Amino acid sequence: MFKKRREKKEASSVNRMMLRRTLFLMIVCGIVAFILLGARLFKLQIVDHDMYETAAVEQQLRQTNIPAQRGTIYDRNMNILAMSATVSNIYISPAEIKANEEDPVVIATRLSEILGVDYATIYEMTSHTDSWYSTVARKVEDDVADQVRQFKEEGYYDKDGEHMTFTGVKIEEASKRYYPYGTLACHVLGFTGMDDHGLAGLEYYYDDLLAGKNGRIVRATNAYGTDMMFTKFEDYYDAEDGQSIVTTIDETVQRYLEKHLETAAADYDLLDGAAGIVMDVNTGAILGMASLGNFDPNDYLAVSPEAQERVDTAMIDVPEDRDTLLAEERNLQWRNKALTETYEPGSVFKIITLASGLESGAVTTHSNFYCGGSLNVLGRTDPLNCWNVYGHGNETLTEAAMYSCNIAFTMMGQMIGAERFYKYLHAFGLFDRTRIDLPGEASSLWWSEDVFFNKANLSQLAAASFGQTFTITPIQLITAVSAVANGGYLMEPYLVSEVLDSDGNVVSQHEPTVVRQVISEETSRTCCQILEQVVSGQNATGKNAYVAGYHVCGKTGTSEDVNYEVEHGEKKYICSFLGFAPANDPQVAVLVLCENPGPESKVGASGGNMGAPTVGKILQDVLPYLGVQPEYAEGEEGLVDVRMPRLIGKTLDEARELLAKVGLSVKSVQGDGAAVTAQLPAPNAKIAGSSEVIIYCGGEPDMTPEQMPNLLGLSYEIARIRAGWQDLYIRGEGVMINSNDILTVSQSIEEGQLVEPGTVITMTLADSSLGATART
Amino acid sequence: MAPKADSMTYDEPRLADYTYDSTIDRGSIDMPFALLTLVLLTVGVIMVLSASFARAYYDPTNETGGNATYYFVRQALFALCGVGVMFVCSRFPMGFYRHISGIVMMVSIVLLVLVLIPGIGDKVNGARRWINLGFTTFQPSEIAKIGVIMYFSVLICQLKNKIANFREGLLKFAVVLGIVCGLLVLEPHMSAIIIILAIGMVMLFLGGLPLRWFITGGVAGASLLGLGYAVFPYVRDRFYAWLNPFADASDAGYQIVQSLYSIGSGGLLGLGLGNSRQKFLYLPEEHNDFIFSIVCEELGFIGAMLILVLFALLIIRGYWLAMHARDRYSALVGAGITTHLAMQVILNVAVCTNSIPCTGISLPLFSYGGTALLLQMAELGIILSLSRDIVEKR
Repeated sequence: MFKKRREKKEASSVNRMMLRRTLFLMIVCGIVAFILLGARLFKLQIVDHDMYETAAVEQQLRQTNIPAQRGTIYDRNMNILAMSATVSNIYISPAEIKANEEDPVVIATRLSEILGVDYATIYEMTSHTDSWYSTVARKVEDDVADQVRQFKEEGYYDKDGEHMTFTGVKIEEASKRYYPYGTLACHVLGFTGMDDHGLAGLEYYYDDLLAGKNGRIVRATNAYGTDMMFTKFEDYYDAEDGQSIVTTIDETVQRYLEKHLETAAADYDLLDGAAGIVMDVNTGAILGMASLGNFDPNDYLAVSPEAQERVDTAMIDVPEDRDTLLAEERNLQWRNKALTETYEPGSVFKIITLASGLESGAVTTHSNFYCGGSLNVLGRTDPLNCWNVYGHGNETLTEAAMYSCNIAFTMMGQMIGAERFYKYLHAFGLFDRTRIDLPGEASSLWWSEDVFFNKANLSQLAAASFGQTFTITPIQLITAVSAVANGGYLMEPYLVSEVLDSDGNVVSQHEPTVVRQVISEETSRTCCQILEQVVSGQNATGKNAYVAGYHVCGKTGTSEDVNYEVEHGEKKYICSFLGFAPANDPQVAVLVLCENPGPESKVGASGGNMGAPTVGKILQDVLPYLGVQPEYAEGEEGLVDVRMPRLIGKTLDEARELLAKVGLSVKSVQGDGAAVTAQLPAPNAKIAGSSEVIIYCGGEPDMTPEQMPNLLGLSYEIARIRAGWQDLYIRGEGVMINSNDILTVSQSIEEGQLVEPGTVITMTLADSSLGATART
Repeated sequence: MAPKADSMTYDEPRLADYTYDSTIDRGSIDMPFALLTLVLLTVGVIMVLSASFARAYYDPTNETGGNATYYFVRQALFALCGVGVMFVCSRFPMGFYRHISGIVMMVSIVLLVLVLIPGIGDKVNGARRWINLGFTTFQPSEIAKIGVIMYFSVLICQLKNKIANFREGLLKFAVVLGIVCGLLVLEPHMSAIIIILAIGMVMLFLGGLPLRWFITGGVAGASLLGLGYAVFPYVRDRFYAWLNPFADASDAGYQIVQSLYSIGSGGLLGLGLGNSRQKFLYLPEEHNDFIFSIVCEELGFIGAMLILVLFALLIIRGYWLAMHARDRYSALVGAGITTHLAMQVILNVAVCTNSIPCTGISLPLFSYGGTALLLQMAELGIILSLSRDIVEKR
């Protein structure tokens, strides 16, 4: 009994322990564990919800880009300067290659063959199997993309013998920028980077406008990249093509500008290249802008062979240093010196001093100056020397400009006074950026007013009046001088005249903007008269800019880069010239900077020797191209086409008189009647001036056809004479300038064709050194 | 020698006495437990439909023939059978189970040996865990879990206080566990070893083994874990992937990262039933071991917590029934089965939420898998059977 009770007690204690332990398990497994799991879920689903959702959505959504077509850049005659074409980016999706068990070796081998990309590089890409996008080649042309497409479609046969395509190889539409004229106007146009966005020039400045908006398709997909069943989630955003811009650049003018700058760079051994601007003085439109050396925006990373050689010979072992050097060369070639750098304008600036002096009334056309070669200036320890140390003696205002007399202009500056002088400089916009629509415009550097206005020290005023001790940009200078030329109106220079939408409709137009009137029209006229003398006057400094048939105004300038001398210990000259024409109604201004003439130069370093002839040549090409009517001086009339008068019925004397009036003469008179019965060529025919015509007084001309001669490769005059041998006449089209370079390049009737006597053949003339048919 | 001394035990009848439903005076099954089971099973089958249809449709493994309801239909059929199995099992008296416990253990061991033989056991991913019966496959380890629960319960009842005696008591348990785990190592099947060892521990714990043995066991377990960490590189990889799942989100950490994306993007209310995006082949095993992640994504924190609460209630009710069981064997089997259920649920959710290193543990009543479901239902049926013997419920 006792034993039994003890056993019972023992047994129940065992049972109580079991109950306790079961209860313990119940609490642990049924309550505590679930509270912990609940807390964990709270953390994941509530606290970190956003993070995980973002990551999940990112992997679930696929974006397909629809590239927008970048707008075109036109010149003012709608020639295409920059355009975009559709090309392809080739990329692979290592994740899909892995998922679909495609052979990375085959893919890497074939893509390497087609695209010329290193096999190892592609194979390495395929190993990053968490990636959906690895670019193999960018911007490949259509034929190459087609080869890739063919390879992808040909695919392979899987282990079940089923035909599969290489889904991991992808072709994506992209766009590539083309600059059909290569280096032409490269600094104005700029270039676009890999992502098709503008990095420099107009491409950069108007990027928002040109770029348009890329569209995209967003889809929810399963892990294999195909559509997510039932979950129809797809968003489509249309691409908006970029707008096009019509620039004020004229491809032909730009070509002339660059050609003559290149000639200058070669002839004068310009170590730092040359820069030039051609501006419409009445609107501020930039017709041409160049900054040598050039680069090709199609391949904007490539440097010139000379620069490459400099880098190669730099004896640098460290690749990073080479890269730095290369980057420096690139930055150098991308600089638009007409805009992004300031310089001392030197004597060209005398135009502004002259205009300020005349407008302020400080000087008049009757003012006289005396230059004894030097002048004491308040605040200077040594006297100021004129460039002509013997002095210019007594001189009128015009002569002071013609001879570019520093003494006279110093006096002029003092007559104007420092405050008034600065007031005019402000009015000419020389303290502000011109706000031209290009990036990177530098700002000018001037003495502060308290230094400049110091009554006890006039040396700053003296130097400034002939263009020294301050720096401005070339674009500021030509804009200011254009105001002098165009009747006094300071224009805002601009490059884009029209914006077109992708269908070619005009979205907006740029109207020329007058900033302010700086000087009166009368002052402007006076300045033009004086500045014309700088070119055409006797022994004037700008005589090298003379252009037959045109009245060119201008001013030379030779300045030193003082900083360069301090840094390099050698002198560096900038030889410049600013010319505009025609004098009575200025249309176009040209500024040329020849930088750092080297020892190989054919002429001495001065604005008159280097800048003036270059500007002259540019104007000689540009003015007729722009349709500015020449006014020929004696001996130049042969270049003008004239209308053949009606001679029939007139007496011989009357006929001779009529012919002389238009500059024609008589080659022969057939018959001996009293009145003209027939004429070669026919009345109203346009023929070259100085042509010799045939008059019939009784009887009819022999109209037997003859073979057309070859008149190509001749000057206009020789062609005219050669045609006259067979009683043929010519008229000209194209570049009508008296120059050894201008030759006939085509004739309206081909050689060997039968032509009647008296026929007028239209000849096209072009600058043979330009190598292309000029526009008419 | 006084076998009848324990008032909780009664004269041991022979097996023949336990014919089906022979004891007509038994009570009814425990309705809360049965209802909780049926509710969870129903939700589970619906979730299999939702989670599996993308994989069934795309059929990347050439299994379904593109039939989107392939997994669902099979799971639903097994669920129906499972309900039948559960009720049939609830009809057998507990004495019957006590009687066949040894046989179940023996059969398990034989199957664990058979599965290792090529031709009988299917090798999947380098492990031989499955026996293919032609119409279906099953894992002998699942039967072994029940075997250990039942056989240990019988042993504990027989040994009583001698359990702490190493030679006469503990050694027997250790030998059985050793054999079973040894066979599982040969498969190999890590998660099954963990669960069976845990079940074994819990059975000994319930059987009254002094706590010092568990301290010893805990130290031994930790050393084993350390050894595994040191010896098997894949264990190390698992640990690393557990601690830094995003370090290698495309490979080692892929599964767990995708699971976290699913759970995390569910938020408070979820994307709605059927609206999971992660099931579109992003999340592997989405209708199987990771079905709970899809539950979280579609039903949100609220829905997931509701299901966890239902599981918790089922588990608490299971222990409650075990505590009120009429005899020691029933109490031990009931607590063992409930612990097995609890462990699967807790470990599965812990894996899905990256609370423990990733290992293949299915979620009872939810995860796709026919025979596993049938066995789970049979286990729950045994609990229902013992609930019949409880005179006073509640």
